[in-house]
Amino acid sequence: MGVLIHFFTTLPVYFGLDPMGYAWAWTISQTLLIVVYAGLVMVSVAFWILADRKIWAAVQMRRGPNVVGAFGLLQTFADAMKFMFKEPIIPAAANKAIFLLAPIISATLAFAAWAVVPLDNGWVVADINVGVLYLFAISSLGVYGVIMGGWASNSKYGFLSALRSAAQMVSYEVSIGFVIVTVLVFAGSLNLSQIVRAQAHGWYVFSILFPMFVVMFISSLAETQRPPFDLLEAESELVAGFMVEYSSTPFLLYFLGEYMNIIMLCALMSIMFLGGWLPPVDIFPLNAVPGILWLLLKIIVMFFMVSMVKAFVPRYRYDQLMRLGWKVLLPLSMAWVVIAGAWVVFVRPALAHVFGG
Amino acid sequence: MAYLDKKARQIFLWEFVQAFFLSMRYFFAPKMTLNYPYEKSPLSPRFRGEHALRRYANGEERCIACKLCEAICPAQCIVIEAEPRDDGSRRTTRYDIDMTKCIYCGYCQEACPVDAIVEGPNLEFATETREELFYDKAKLLANGDRWERAIAKNIELDAPYR
Amino acid sequence: MARKLIIDGKEIEAEDTLTLLQACEQAGAEIPRFCYHERLSVAGNCRMCMVEWVGAPKPQVSCSLQVKDIFPNKDGTPAKINTNSPVAKKAREGVMEFLLINHPLDCPICDQGGECDLQDQAMGYGRANFHRFHENKRAVEDKYMGPLIKTAMNRCIQCTRCVRFATEVAGVPDLGATGRGEDMEITTYLEKAFSSELSGNVVDLCPVGALTSKPYSYNARPWELKHTESIDIMDAQGCNTRIDTRGRSVLRVLPRLNEEINEEWLHDKGRHIWDGLGRQRLDRPYVRKNGKLQAASWHDAFALIAAKAKATKPERMAAIVGDLAAAEEIKALKDLMTSLGVINLDCRQEGATLGGARPSYLFNTSIAGVEAADALLLIGCNPRWEAPVLNARIRKTWLAGALQVANLGLAVDLTYPAAELGTDIATLEALADGSHPFAEVLRNAKRPMLILGTGALARKDGAAVLYRAAKIARETGMIGPAGTAAEGGWNGFNVLHTAASRVAALDLGFVPGPEGRDVTGIIDGAQKGEIDFIYLLGADELPLETMGRPFVVYQGSHGDAGASYADVILPGSAFSEKDGLFANFEGRVQEAPRAVFPPGEAKEDWAILRALSEELKHPLPYDTLEALRRVLVAELPQYGALGTLPRHEGADPALWGALGAEGPLAIDVPLAAAIGDYYLTNAIARASLVMADCSRILLHDGQTKMAAE
Repeated sequence: MGVLIHFFTTLPVYFGLDPMGYAWAWTISQTLLIVVYAGLVMVSVAFWILADRKIWAAVQMRRGPNVVGAFGLLQTFADAMKFMFKEPIIPAAANKAIFLLAPIISATLAFAAWAVVPLDNGWVVADINVGVLYLFAISSLGVYGVIMGGWASNSKYGFLSALRSAAQMVSYEVSIGFVIVTVLVFAGSLNLSQIVRAQAHGWYVFSILFPMFVVMFISSLAETQRPPFDLLEAESELVAGFMVEYSSTPFLLYFLGEYMNIIMLCALMSIMFLGGWLPPVDIFPLNAVPGILWLLLKIIVMFFMVSMVKAFVPRYRYDQLMRLGWKVLLPLSMAWVVIAGAWVVFVRPALAHVFGG
Repeated sequence: MAYLDKKARQIFLWEFVQAFFLSMRYFFAPKMTLNYPYEKSPLSPRFRGEHALRRYANGEERCIACKLCEAICPAQCIVIEAEPRDDGSRRTTRYDIDMTKCIYCGYCQEACPVDAIVEGPNLEFATETREELFYDKAKLLANGDRWERAIAKNIELDAPYR
Repeated sequence: MARKLIIDGKEIEAEDTLTLLQACEQAGAEIPRFCYHERLSVAGNCRMCMVEWVGAPKPQVSCSLQVKDIFPNKDGTPAKINTNSPVAKKAREGVMEFLLINHPLDCPICDQGGECDLQDQAMGYGRANFHRFHENKRAVEDKYMGPLIKTAMNRCIQCTRCVRFATEVAGVPDLGATGRGEDMEITTYLEKAFSSELSGNVVDLCPVGALTSKPYSYNARPWELKHTESIDIMDAQGCNTRIDTRGRSVLRVLPRLNEEINEEWLHDKGRHIWDGLGRQRLDRPYVRKNGKLQAASWHDAFALIAAKAKATKPERMAAIVGDLAAAEEIKALKDLMTSLGVINLDCRQEGATLGGARPSYLFNTSIAGVEAADALLLIGCNPRWEAPVLNARIRKTWLAGALQVANLGLAVDLTYPAAELGTDIATLEALADGSHPFAEVLRNAKRPMLILGTGALARKDGAAVLYRAAKIARETGMIGPAGTAAEGGWNGFNVLHTAASRVAALDLGFVPGPEGRDVTGIIDGAQKGEIDFIYLLGADELPLETMGRPFVVYQGSHGDAGASYADVILPGSAFSEKDGLFANFEGRVQEAPRAVFPPGEAKEDWAILRALSEELKHPLPYDTLEALRRVLVAELPQYGALGTLPRHEGADPALWGALGAEGPLAIDVPLAAAIGDYYLTNAIARASLVMADCSRILLHDGQTKMAAE
C-alpha cells in the first residue's frame, strides 16, 4: 500500500509536474487495489466452484467437469458465459427494481466483506479496528439480498423460500456472533490482523476454543445455505428456492455471491482459528513461505471440508435445523463465552504465572 | 455405559468423522466415469437403440408390411402404408417412425416375423432439429445397411436365449 | 316334428329339418366351422364342426348330421351331444393339424390376417409348439379370377364355399374343383375371370386368405380401420354396407347383414367403387372464365350464381337432380327452386314418366316378398345388372320352387331360365289384352308379379307402357289384398329403379310443375335458347352436349360430364362424406352416415344449398341437418321411420286405374337396355379405376375403349 502511494505520489514528477497530493495518491492506489483485489477474488471463485464440483464428483466416483479447458478448468467460465448470454427473464408481476436490485446487493456485499480480510501481515485493503464488527454487519445485510429477491419475484415459492432462508441465516448468525465473541475475548481485539497476530503462540483451534471452531464451521454451512442446510434450495426436492424466478446474469450474481460468502467464511475461520497467514510452527523452511500461501492453504483445507460435508452429510429437516441452531449451538456458544471469559480472567494469568509468561 | 458411549459419540461427532473417512476412501477410489465420446461401455446384444430396417443378403428388403409392429407399438409412433409392389409382393410404401414418440420398448422387433425392424446398437443419433427424428423408410433402410453387421451379430448372440 | 336333444347338458327341442350344428347353436354352443355356411348347401368336407354324440363310436360331423337322424338312447332318454368334451376337442385339434399341414404360415403377408377364421380357430384348436409333419408343403399355382379377386391358392383349405356360392347363389358356375385329395384345386375353368356381379362375395366367404380382394390388397389391416354402417347407393336397392376407413380415405366396403334387403351379399359395384371416392374429386369451387374453368372461392362462385339467377326469369330457369343425391339436398333444392318460382324441375334423367302416387313407382312386392312369388314378368329390365342382389333373390326363389319367369326385353343370362318374349313392344300389348300365352301363366299363378324396368319406362311411349303394365297387374290379380306376403297380402306391381336418389326425389315431388318442362323439355329449351339457367345437382347422365350454352351450375362430388359443361362448379360430398337419407326402390328409407370428411373445400350438399339460398335472398328455413330432417319428416312421415317398408294398402282402383296414359305403343322401337355398362353407371363408378378394369376385362373382353369412341 505504501509502495503504491509512493508510486502515485511521484508519478507526475517523471512527467515534469508537481508531486501528487497524498489524498489523491491514496484514493487512486486504494481504488486500484480494490479493483485488482476484487477481480482476483472473482476469478478465483471460478476455480472454487470447479473445485467444489470436482471434490463432490470424486466422492461419487465421477470425474466432474473435464471437457472445457484442461481438466475442465474453464468450465465455470463457460457456464458464466452461458448465463450472461441467456435472456434475463423478469416475471411480469415482479417488482422490477427490487427484483434486479436484490442480486446486486447480494454480490456487492459478498465483495465488500473481503475488504477487511488480511491476506498477509499488512496485506489488507482496510485495516480497520472494527473488522470483525464490519464483517458481522455485512453478513447480517446479506439477508436483505435474499428476502428482497424472494419478495420481488412475486412467486409464492420464492417468497416462502426467502422467509425460510432469512430465518435460517438470522438463527445461525446469533451463534456465529457468540463464537466470534469468544475469539475476541481471547485475542482482545476486533482487528482481524490483531487476531491473527494474537495466535502467534498457538492457534485458537488448538486451545479450549476448539469446540467453537466446530460450532463456527457448522454455523458457516448454515449461514451460506450449504448442504446439509440447503433447505431453501434442496434442488433435488424443491425448486431453486428464492432464486426460482431468476435467470441469466441476476442469477449469476446470486451464485457468485453465494460462493464468495463461502470462501469468505472459510477465510474468516482460517484467520480466527487457524492463525491466518501464520505458519504452523515458526521455524525456518516454514516461515520462509509467504504468509499469503499459508492463508490460501488454510482456506483450501476449510473449503475442502465444506465440500466434503456436502458430499457425505444428508440434508437436515427444517425443524432439525432450527433445533440445532437454537437449542444446541446457541447455548453451547453462549456457555463458551463464559468459559472463555473465565479462562482469560482466571486461568491464563495463572498459566502465565506458572510458565513465566 | 452404552448410554455414555452413545452420548460421547454424539458429542465428538463420531459418525461425521467416520463418514468423512469413508468419503475420503471413495475420493481416491478409481473413477467409474467413462470419457464418453472416446471411451464406451460394452453394450448387451439386446440393447435397444436406434431403429433400422434390415435387408436380406441379396439386397431385398425384409419388411413385408404385415403391420404387426404398427399394431403393437404402445406409443403409436410407427406409421405404415402398404401396397403391392410391381412384382406383386407385399411391400411398404411408407414406413415412418417418430423417434420422438418412441419409448424404445422393443415390442416392434419382438413382433416382427421376419426380423426386419430391429433396434440396433446405435445410441448416438441426436439431431439438431426435431424433424430429423421423424425417420422415414429410406432413413431406416440406410440405418439397416450401415449397422447390418452389428445387428446380425447381436441377433446371433441372442438367438440361444429365445 | 321336434326331437329332444341334450346338448352340453342342456335339454332342447330341435326341429327335424335342422342340422345338428344349427341345433347346437340353438342351444347356445359355438361350433367351429370352415365349409359350413348357412346360405349355402352343406358340403361337410372340412370336418371342423365335429361334436361328440355320447354312445357313438366316433365324433360326428355336426353340419351334415340332421336332427332327424339322431335317435334317442335305448332307454328312451334323449341323445346326448357334447360340443366341448375332450373327444370333440381332440377331433378338432386333429382336423386343425391336418389343415395346417398344407397351409402356408404366411399370415404376415396375408390380407385375411386379423379377420381370418383359420387364424382364430387355430388359437382355439391349434397345437402350439408341436408339429410332426416334416415333409414339404403342398404348392398350388395361383389362379386368375378376374380383376376383383386375388388368389393365393397355397392357403386354400378346400372348403368349397366359393364353388358353392358361384354355383348356387351367383348362378355362374365358373368356379370348380379339379383333382382329388392333396391335388384338389379350386379354379376357374380355363383361366377365365369369374364373371358375376356378385363375385366379390367369395372374398367374404373364404374362411382363409386364399381369395382376397385385389383392389384392397395389402392396403390395410382390419384392426386399423374405422367401421361405419352405411348404405350402398350404386343401385337403388339400398344394400346395407359397412364402410371401412382409415384416416381420410375409404379403404373398402363390405356388406352388412339385412335379411330384408341384401341378406349378406353385396354386388361388385357397391363393393369396389371405393377407389372412385378419392379420384377426380371436385375439391374446391370453380368458375368458368373465358371458356376455362378456374379455381374460385365459395364467395365468388355464389356471387356469380346470384347475379345470374337475379338476371334470369324463373320460367327460363331449371333444376335437375342426379342419381346419387340424398333426400336432404333434394328437399333443399326443391325448396330453394320453389321459392325462386322455378317450375322446370326434374329428377328422371333417363326420361321415365313416373310420379304421383307412391305405390305407382315403388317395388311394391318388396325384396323379401319376391320369395313368395310364383310367376314373374320382366318388362324392359335386366335385374342382373340393375339390381344384382335382387337378381340373386329371384334366383333363390327360382331354386326353391316353381317360379316361372318371362323376360320381355333384351335376352340376357339372368342366371335362371326365363321365357324370352323378345324385344318387340307389341308383345306387351298381347300380354295386356290377355292373348299372349304368358298372360295365362300370370292369371293362373297365385302370386304373380311384374317388374317394370327403366328400359321400358324411359321410352318415348313410357306412359303407354306404364298404362299397359298397370292393366296387366290389375287383370292378372297382381294387386292383391293389403299387407305383406307373410300376412297374406300381395302386390305384384313393381318398378325397378336404377338410381338411388330416384325414389326420394319422386317422393319429394321433384318433377315438373304444371306447365313445367321435364328433362327432355329442359334440354330442348336450352338448345333453343328458352332456358338460360340450369342447376344440376350431381346430374351427369344427360345429353348435355346437345343443349347449347345456357348458364350451368353443377353441384356434385366428381368431375364428370356435368362438371365439364358447368359454368360454376360447387364441390359437394359423396355419399360416404355426409349424413344422408336414401329411399330404396321399395320405398324403404335408410341412412348413410358420414364415414369420412369431404376433401378440400367441399361441403355437405344441403349446407351448400342453404348458403346459396342466403346469397339468393331466399333463405331456407333450416340451419341444421336436424332442422332440415324435421321439415322433411313433417312433409313425408316415412322419412322419420328408417328401415321400414311402406305398407301395401290393397287394390285401390282410383290409384291403379289411373296409371300412365292410354296411348299407342311405338311398335317400331324395340325394347332397349337401361344400363349400357354395369360397371360404369354413375360418376363415382366412372372415376374408379377398379370399375374401369372390370368393365374392360369382364364386359369388353380386355379391349380398352379408345378415347375417340
